[in-house]
Amino acid sequence: MRRVIILLLTQVLLWTLLAELNHGLSGWQVHIFGGALFVVYPALQLDRAPGLLVAGAAGLLCDAHSPVAFGTHGLLFAAAHLLLFRARARVPRQDPVSQILVVLFTNLALFLSLSLLRLLAAPAPGGAWGRLLPDLLASQLTLAVVTVWFLALQDRLVRLGDAWAERRGLHG
Amino acid sequence: MPFKRFTQGNPLLTLGLIVGGWLLVPTAVKTFARASFFELTAPVNLAASRVRDLQDFWALRTRSRTELIEAGRDLARVTASFELAVQQNGELRAEVARLEELLRLPPLRDHRLEHARVARRDFSGWWQRIVIRKGRDHGIPVGAPVVFSGGVVGRVSEVHATTAVVELISSPTMRLAGVVEGDTRPISFQGGVNPTLAPPRGVVELMPLDIIANSAAPKRLVTAGFGGVFPPGLTLGTIIRADLASDGLFKSGAVELDPRLGTLTEVSVLVPVAPADAPGRPAP
Repeated sequence: MRRVIILLLTQVLLWTLLAELNHGLSGWQVHIFGGALFVVYPALQLDRAPGLLVAGAAGLLCDAHSPVAFGTHGLLFAAAHLLLFRARARVPRQDPVSQILVVLFTNLALFLSLSLLRLLAAPAPGGAWGRLLPDLLASQLTLAVVTVWFLALQDRLVRLGDAWAERRGLHG
Repeated sequence: MPFKRFTQGNPLLTLGLIVGGWLLVPTAVKTFARASFFELTAPVNLAASRVRDLQDFWALRTRSRTELIEAGRDLARVTASFELAVQQNGELRAEVARLEELLRLPPLRDHRLEHARVARRDFSGWWQRIVIRKGRDHGIPVGAPVVFSGGVVGRVSEVHATTAVVELISSPTMRLAGVVEGDTRPISFQGGVNPTLAPPRGVVELMPLDIIANSAAPKRLVTAGFGGVFPPGLTLGTIIRADLASDGLFKSGAVELDPRLGTLTEVSVLVPVAPADAPGRPAP
């Protein structure tokens, strides 16, 4: 439970940073989507249930601030978590390049899934890709830069939490 | 634990169970959870917004006294102009009220202005929204129109205790009635695709064939006032293109919206008031 709480706090931090970044970029009509960063660490490093809880809760946090059916992000993040969890034995989890590639592919899948869901309600779905593709490109570039830092931050905080609990003789 | 082993071996089954379980959750629970998640993170939004205000404050403190004196002088001139406009507005309101009384017309819907700072802007290709720093505690209702000096900003779509979410007119799902300035025939306006590094855009449909607009001779699009949500005459944008629609009966076209929509820092919510409370209206 301790790890879940620590990771949820880092998810709130990530959500805040992305919100601030998007606030600043709004004048240029650029939007950064970083859904994969909410999912990858829990899927690669935690057990199935706690990881699913963290990814799902992060999805619901994104849902609360988006005009989509409540649970859309939650279910997409849960799906991404389950697929990554199944494949994680074949991924070198501590290798930075592998981490970046996993994040980029996961983000691409989440972005396209969300876009397809949203475009069903759009007036001109074909024309929307002219805006969505630059957003996707900007998102992938941003994630390529920040992935290693954010995963290292999560890993560091989890280890600090474990060390603190060990000193206090706590478990879980 | 055969069930546990089965779900661990079948992520798709696990996902199916989660989706099925989620669909069975009552709507009331989901609504409550959504509001809870929003309110839990509302302080983060507000804190970030106030930190930005503080940054602006300290940035302004670096300005020289000469610049401040010049700014104060310019502001005094603008204030003088507005004071005159306020006096004229009062007279016009009294005139409208007198004519309504004389002709026994139903009173026009009146509004009070509730100014609010923008806490967060969220402009994606999927939606365009802002979060403002006023909500239910300030009497802001869902559906209230939101304006700024350049015209219409959008409509309040969600109201929380201390914040409210405004859906912008540039949002692809936003639709409302407009008219070309000087014309009375309604046109359907909808938010459109907002291209990167360009001003926000919208689209118009059901435009009469005799209206000609292009980038050389653009037409100003204003609110029609139908439906009772938006007062008539507020600027929506500029029609920069009008082509014959596929049905041949109407035209459709593109609307360029105010580029300042992307950098809004303060907006005004038009909160509807009862006719008896409206300013400038004589007491019965």
